[in-house]
Amino acid sequence: MKIIEKFMKFIALMLYLLLTIIPLYWIIITSLKDIKEVFVFPIKYLPQVISFESYRRLFAFTNFAIYFRNSLMVALTASFGALFITMFSGYAMSRYGLKFKRIILIGLFFTQAIPSFLVLVPLYTMFAKARMLDKLPSLMILYINIMIPFSAIMAKSFFDRIPISIEEAAQVDGCSRLQALFKIVIPLTLPGLSAIFSFCFINTWNELFLAVMFINSDLKMTIPVALNSFVSKIGVGWDIMSAGIVISLIPTLIIYAFAQRYIVAGLTGGAVKE
Amino acid sequence: MVLPTLISVILLTFVPVLSSFFIAFQNYDLHDLSNIHFIGFENFQAVFNDVNFNFLRILLNTFLWVIVSLFFQFVLGLGLALLMKKPFKGRGIYSGLVFYPWALSGFAIGLIWAWMFNGQFGIINDILQKIGLIHQNIGFLSDTRYSLMSVIIANIWYGIPFFAIMLLAALQSVPLELYEAAEIDGAGYFIKLFKITIPYIKPVIINTVLLRTIWIINFPEMIYAMTGGGPANSSNILSVQMINKIMNFLDFGEGAAIGVMIIIIMSIYVIIYLKIISREELTF
Repeated sequence: MKIIEKFMKFIALMLYLLLTIIPLYWIIITSLKDIKEVFVFPIKYLPQVISFESYRRLFAFTNFAIYFRNSLMVALTASFGALFITMFSGYAMSRYGLKFKRIILIGLFFTQAIPSFLVLVPLYTMFAKARMLDKLPSLMILYINIMIPFSAIMAKSFFDRIPISIEEAAQVDGCSRLQALFKIVIPLTLPGLSAIFSFCFINTWNELFLAVMFINSDLKMTIPVALNSFVSKIGVGWDIMSAGIVISLIPTLIIYAFAQRYIVAGLTGGAVKE
Repeated sequence: MVLPTLISVILLTFVPVLSSFFIAFQNYDLHDLSNIHFIGFENFQAVFNDVNFNFLRILLNTFLWVIVSLFFQFVLGLGLALLMKKPFKGRGIYSGLVFYPWALSGFAIGLIWAWMFNGQFGIINDILQKIGLIHQNIGFLSDTRYSLMSVIIANIWYGIPFFAIMLLAALQSVPLELYEAAEIDGAGYFIKLFKITIPYIKPVIINTVLLRTIWIINFPEMIYAMTGGGPANSSNILSVQMINKIMNFLDFGEGAAIGVMIIIIMSIYVIIYLKIISREELTF
């Protein structure tokens, strides 16, 4: 009985794994096929030869290296920016008896429920008036703003978990409040802060609609904007597209592999505590 | 120290939300910028009466998109979390492999599923034919009968990891003594599941479902990538139509009007949800 149960469980786990892996497998395999094998019937589950032709054509026909650099710059700047701002805000909300703290927290929760595309139009007209359309720094500012509410809430909950007595002990030993923050508290919250950073990076790297709306010139496109333009671009078929998609997935998958534990802890920390 | 956060959120989120309510009542067309003026409810009327945009159909699609996706994401996510609850060899690696969709963009995932659902070279057509479920290729995304179902399937796939992550963490917080006591009373697997596990993790379930519902209502990327809402609105939902209005027609007024409708529907949902929940909690 026990063995049958274990076996059934194993089968179920493998089924989940298979269903999760197939899409990733299929897009990677497609990108590694020779173009003739991409569009062939019956379809091939394993390529006869591994070919990097699609990748070569991707970089030859489009400015994909530049899109990649743009995406990286925007995502890194926005993530560090959001982290820097919310680190202090989170600390203040955790340690000081602020006026209106409850209202601020509720406001932050509320903004989290408002997706960026709902405010596309007002943001667009606002930035158009300031002549800041088609500029990567505009995108960075907007992305920092998108990431702030969740990051601030997360940062606060991480600081909440560090007992205030540790800081007080440091202050007794002659540290100033700021020194105590940088030398004691921040090192202790480092796992939490890297979770915030990873979360920001993944979300800003993936953002589509703001970027499509705000960026027009080819050399300023981020990867999602580029992929979106491929959909209607003549001469870009599923071979080139698949190579572009695979490259777009790599950075977030790397971050995810390194930070999965922290992200999961950060995501679930608040939920389970309640 | 809180100031930068507040300034940013007020200036770039609260103000735009309020001004989107104004734009919704204006004639605001990028083709006709010299002619921006207040027009009352005309944008809303235009949305309701658009012949190319069957409003009721899209409302129904939106509900189906949310409810069906949510239901299966929850059930399958809970299933996965239950399977992973007890430690087994390689659980760390397994969770890494099975949770990865969470880190990917809905747009990229949508493109991948569009390629898998492809009517000619799609892997799904091929697999279904190999098992004998269908006998000729189906244009999943180009056939009005299948398009909504196809995008929902992709969405279910995408959302399972989120539920599994949240529920797994909750499951691991259930004290083992509760089970031991029940086992002494001779309780079986399902009795334990429904009498101990689910009641214990109920707060997490309530939170997660609420968050996820709001998130799915506001998740146009996947449909945008797979079908753009077509063919003939068969897979169109409110948020996708809003994107279409803004991006393709540059009609900011009507786009903002749809956005306002989404905000209203969302608020009503949240209010009702919280009302029902707190009443149930009381009787519990």
